[in-house]
Amino acid sequence: MMNNKYKILFVEDDSNIRTVITTLLETEGYQVIWAGTCKFAQGLFTSHQPDVVILDLGLPDMDGMRFLEFVRRDSLTPIIVLSARSNDRDKVRALDAGANDYVTKPFSTEELLARIRMILRNYQHRADSGKLPGGKFQVQDMVIDYDARQVFIAGKEIKLSQTEYNIVALLSEHCGKMMTYSAIIKGVWGYPDEGSTKKLQVNMANIRKKFGVKPGEARYITNELGVGYRMNGDNADIQDS
Amino acid sequence: MNIKKITKNILLSLGIFLLAVVLSILFQKLEVGEHITIIFMFAVFLISLLTDGYAYGIISAIGGMLAVNYAFTYPYFALDFNIPVNLISAIIMTAVSILTGMLTTKIKNYEAEKAKSERERMRANLLRAVSHDLRTPLTAIYSASSILRNKKKMLTEEQQDVMLKNIEEDSEWLVRMVENLLSITRINNEKIKIEKTSVILDELIDSVMTKFLNRHPEQKVTIDIPNEIVVVSVDPILIEQVLMNLLENAVFHAENMTHIILRVFASERKVIFEIADDGCGIREDMLKDIFGGTYGTQNNSADGKKRNAGIGLSVCATIIKAHDGEISAENRKDGGALFRFTLGKEDSAYDE
Repeated sequence: MMNNKYKILFVEDDSNIRTVITTLLETEGYQVIWAGTCKFAQGLFTSHQPDVVILDLGLPDMDGMRFLEFVRRDSLTPIIVLSARSNDRDKVRALDAGANDYVTKPFSTEELLARIRMILRNYQHRADSGKLPGGKFQVQDMVIDYDARQVFIAGKEIKLSQTEYNIVALLSEHCGKMMTYSAIIKGVWGYPDEGSTKKLQVNMANIRKKFGVKPGEARYITNELGVGYRMNGDNADIQDS
Repeated sequence: MNIKKITKNILLSLGIFLLAVVLSILFQKLEVGEHITIIFMFAVFLISLLTDGYAYGIISAIGGMLAVNYAFTYPYFALDFNIPVNLISAIIMTAVSILTGMLTTKIKNYEAEKAKSERERMRANLLRAVSHDLRTPLTAIYSASSILRNKKKMLTEEQQDVMLKNIEEDSEWLVRMVENLLSITRINNEKIKIEKTSVILDELIDSVMTKFLNRHPEQKVTIDIPNEIVVVSVDPILIEQVLMNLLENAVFHAENMTHIILRVFASERKVIFEIADDGCGIREDMLKDIFGGTYGTQNNSADGKKRNAGIGLSVCATIIKAHDGEISAENRKDGGALFRFTLGKEDSAYDE
């Protein structure tokens, strides 16, 4: 933890949460800058160029979505959104607008730290995150050979259908990012239609079975019902939260 | 009224009416023709009873009257209103249909009213119970934190740890309570139907289990779900809440429990979920009203953790009822409790 002085911009208006989270992040060796309003956050973002943004969507001056759009206009800086459980639509909206991940309030501190670590890891090697020479991708014991369109787990080939392979490949290209149903559907089928979410879920269920992953294990892919899927980076502790 | 319902009503009316005609022809053949009016009267009564509103009953009354008059009474195959018997039976038939219609509408309204007030009563109970139960952990957190702040020097390190642990536990408990509260508010508006989407069973179970194992990583759960694709039409957040409540119910309240079994199987029309444990089971006298929101409130003081059993379970019942499903609890023969709920199954015809 010594050398990871990553700079985190924390946008949150509640001062108690701010104190707690700032302390938490600082003890983990991050540098934290804090903003309580969208306006202030925009200024800090431009002047400090943080490595990660943690954004609460409910801010006093304007919708946190506006700040999200502001950042995404010309930056790929990873953004983790803090959201309330009750509103799946908000999560989907934020993810589709470019947020990389979200953490549901109330969250455990381990959960937040795990997400930050995962996002930083994938951001660090953005260009070649998990990718091996020769058009391959590796995460844990899973290897994807993009040229041969094959997937291996622990050295054994997993026979996937065309659609299943396309989904796995798409998620791997965005490893660490929570991909919404509609983003995956657009990427795999090109267009959404009635029942395409159902179609996606059926494929995901089959993929999980073929990978030999038990329900709830979330080994390679995390499933957020009603929102989307995320391929987990090489970050085993994401499940320990 | 939708087209499906209208079609159903029309088909039902036509079916009963045709049956009456066939019977009448039969009676005519057997030369017991004097009972034909009664047959049609009965048909009109049945139609009024089984269809919605008055229209079908009245139309069939008129139809029945014409049929009797035209085909089955003298003069045969001609309409004749001069014979007073014909007129009288026509009037009686119409009256029967109108009265039956009125009666059934009244009964239907009464039943809807009763169900509504039942739901309302349940929700009120639930909210009362929840707000009552929010106070206890809040008080604990409040006092523990003030003691830590004001009397810190007088406490041993061990005592401080206990306080902090209590704060953490009670906060976790509050988180669960708030999740349940949110679930109730999602279905609180009686008129607005819950928002159902098609969900693949595998994905539902996977999502719940991911969350559950995050909270209880050491807990052994055996999962037994159908190999084929099963689709349920539900509000996924609410059904996740039900499964989570039932799983955690076993963790928190089934003493000496080592093992949970989550089993799902599908019949032709229903999907049946079973959550079984090998713990202490449910006290027989509690079984009857276990979903009523009172379970656990009586033995509150013995073990503070008992307190949320009732609320979690009545939230489950409220959610399942809102999905038109059924929920039940029983003790297993070889020990432990079993909770079972059913949901409607969706036609899973699927092609890639």
